[in-house]
Amino acid sequence: MRSTMTAVLERAALVHDELATEPYELPWAQEARFFVQVHELTGRLELRTEISPDGLTWCPADEPPVRVTEPGMTSWLVTGFGQWLRVRCFVSGAGAPAARLRIYVVGKS
Amino acid sequence: MRLAAPATDAGLSKYDPLGRILCFDRFDSTTHGWTELIGNYDGKGDLGTVDEHMRDFRPPQLSSCSFFDVGTHGTLSGNYALKLATRAHRGHTATGIRRLTMAGRGRVRIETYFAFKAEATVGHELPASVAWDGNRHPSESQFGAFTVATDICADNGVRYHNVIRYQNTNLAGEMTQRFMYPVVPEPTPRDHQEGKFALPYAADFTAPDPDDWRYLGEPLELCVNEVPTKINWHYLRWDIDTATRSNVELRLNDRIIDLSDVPVPIYPDRYSTLDNLLNFYFSVRTHAGIRNFLFLDSVLISVDW
Repeated sequence: MRSTMTAVLERAALVHDELATEPYELPWAQEARFFVQVHELTGRLELRTEISPDGLTWCPADEPPVRVTEPGMTSWLVTGFGQWLRVRCFVSGAGAPAARLRIYVVGKS
Repeated sequence: MRLAAPATDAGLSKYDPLGRILCFDRFDSTTHGWTELIGNYDGKGDLGTVDEHMRDFRPPQLSSCSFFDVGTHGTLSGNYALKLATRAHRGHTATGIRRLTMAGRGRVRIETYFAFKAEATVGHELPASVAWDGNRHPSESQFGAFTVATDICADNGVRYHNVIRYQNTNLAGEMTQRFMYPVVPEPTPRDHQEGKFALPYAADFTAPDPDDWRYLGEPLELCVNEVPTKINWHYLRWDIDTATRSNVELRLNDRIIDLSDVPVPIYPDRYSTLDNLLNFYFSVRTHAGIRNFLFLDSVLISVDW
């Protein structure tokens, strides 16, 4: 039977400018899926997947950035990554842009 | 005492269980019920009602113990360990909790093989009370503490925690290398609801006041093996007794520490809905602005009932 595992990386993170989630190690997983639940959003949110071989140094994953303009759930699949994953969140726009986020990563073998 | 399994079992032979094994968790296959701890929340699922100091204990990870300099290190028994990782925030704690109940009263034993490390600093350096001299390394003093503890409740709501912590450094980052225990029970969400305290983020959730901890025995040096990317597995065996609500004995590799004089404070008030609760947790706390890791190769919990 395949394995699966869900981690809640952020529960109610308030992002004013930029936030990178904690390094999450998924060496056993063939694929991973991020879920980002946007509770509140003022401005625009961009979500970029980043990968790392050591949890210290990061580069963009092959997946294109995900752009969000409304509260709600968004999700994307990541495959063929190295051991570590994280998502980098950028908030931008006029006034006082901000986002309140719950972020999950689900790994599957 | 009879052995629960023949010594020919390569997984079990490194352990010394009591007569009945409740769980034997090898992290080559899932997290085996070791999950993140979170404080309690209201009936709407509003996580904003979770106590500030209990909302961010971080999810456990299955780690191949890989590092920037050597790649995959691996574990004592296989590919994956359970890794608890703090944030790089002074005082932050990561936990893994295992939730059981008791089908009897008596001796309870938890055993593990573990390794502990501060995260490597590459390309920069952090303040440290230990200087690099080719043998000792600053990372040695950048690891705070790890804790193994319980949450137990029975006998008409009597709740208590057996707790043992290895403190590598104090909050000032000075090497202490001693076991310690708290003399107060852990603050609970109900205490908070009743206005007895309000703790800030990264407070020590087990016992927030450093004055409520007592050292146990003499300083005990563990194997750190010089740099933050060499991990060596230590054996830990801890016995408690739920019939007498007491601590019994701690073993760390070849060192045996009598715990019979280590008190187990109970809550003055009774707790409902927790009948026969038998929880275990491991936690790791950083005392500096660097991630701290606790790796568990495997965990075995056994009892004599």
